[in-house]
This record gives sequence, C-alpha cells and structure tokens, in this order.
Amino acid sequence: MGTFAAIGIAGSGLDVYRKWIDAVSDNLANINTVRPSNEAAFQARYVVAQANDNQGGESGGVHVAGAAFGSAEGRLVYEPDHPLADQNGYVRYPDIDMSSQMVQLIMAQRGYQANASVIDRAKDMYSTALTIGRN
Amino acid sequence: MSIPPIGAMPSVSAASFAQPTQAVRPSVGGEADFGTSLGSAIDGLQSMQSTASELAIKAVTGDLADVHDYTIAATQASVAMELTATIRNRAVDAFNEIMRMQG
Repeated sequence: MGTFAAIGIAGSGLDVYRKWIDAVSDNLANINTVRPSNEAAFQARYVVAQANDNQGGESGGVHVAGAAFGSAEGRLVYEPDHPLADQNGYVRYPDIDMSSQMVQLIMAQRGYQANASVIDRAKDMYSTALTIGRN
Repeated sequence: MSIPPIGAMPSVSAASFAQPTQAVRPSVGGEADFGTSLGSAIDGLQSMQSTASELAIKAVTGDLADVHDYTIAATQASVAMELTATIRNRAVDAFNEIMRMQG
C-alpha cells in the first residue's frame, strides 16, 4: 500500500461494509420466502469480518473471512390456505428479525460512511503535505 | 497525604541536544539519479491512472463490482499526480536557483 496506506485500509473497510449491506439486503429480500414444512427455511446470511494480519507486507485493514448462516429450522407458521402448507396447515418461514436487520443496515451504512470519511480526510492530509513549503 | 519535595534538576549537557554533524558526501552511482527516480515515479503514476481508467470503463459497462473501487483508484491517481508534479516543480526550482548562482 505504501504511500497511501490509510486510503487502502479504509478501502478494505468499505469492502466489508458493502458486503454486510449485501447480506442484509439478501436477508430482507427473503424475509417472506416460504418453504414447505419438510424443507429447510431460507438461512439468514451473516458476514464474518476479520482483521488482516500484518504478515507479508500488508499494512492492516479488514477482510471478509467468510459467511455464517442462521437457523435452517426457521419458524413454522399456521397458514392452511397457503399452497405450500402441509396436511396440518403449516409452512416454514425464515427466522429473520426485521428490526434487527434494519439496525444492522444502519450500522453498515454508518460504517461505510465512516470509512469513506477516512479516505476523504486522508486525501486532504496528503494534499496538505504537498503544500508544505510552497511559499 | 504527603507531598514529596521537589528534587534537583538534572544537569543539561550540550551534547544531549546537539549531535555532532556528519559531513554529507555526494553519492555518485550509489543511488539512482534524480531523472531515473522521477522516471520510475511517473511510471507508477501512469499505472495508477491506467488502473483508474480501466475501472471507469468497467463502471460504464456495468462490470464494476464496487463503486468505491473506482473512486479510490481515481483519488489515489490524482494525489499521486499532485505529488509527482510537486516533486518535479521543486526540482526545477532548485535547478533554476543553481543556474542563477553563476551570474
């Protein structure tokens, strides 16, 4: 990363928060995805963030180590009129909490904004350094 | 509660502040000359700018995975451009200053 380490590190943060927003949008999009009761429910997606180790010349930052999945059991809802309902009238909904997802959305958005601000400030700082001794 | 008395100040020796200066030897051949280092800096700048323009093309064609990838690359390229221009201007100023010495 060299000269622009701060920009690179904040860029890795932007990557992670963007993926978090992707995961939240996937969860919200599938919050009403219904499966028959004998199949697995849609599993909520969670992003696993991990700090970059400083081996191999990397100078900090964060990356997505992988995805974690929520419960496949979901929750059984009694909807006898549903075309996918079993003989007892149950269908399987994903176990996703809308308010929790909305909170995560705000957190991801704010994190993204914070990292974007870091990039802006770092750029301002580099520009300031270039004006040293100009006059 | 007891207040400890103020102790004596350690004596100040001149050597602890002012280190003896070393003569600066002009390095001939040891380091790359200014033209070479400026040239490699410009090469680096060019690769940054080509990265930025590749990402701009990706943005237009819809192949860009991350919006911030492009803006970061563009920012880095512009700061590096400013940096290279500043270094070059300073060097030219220094050269002009030296040229004025003979008059």
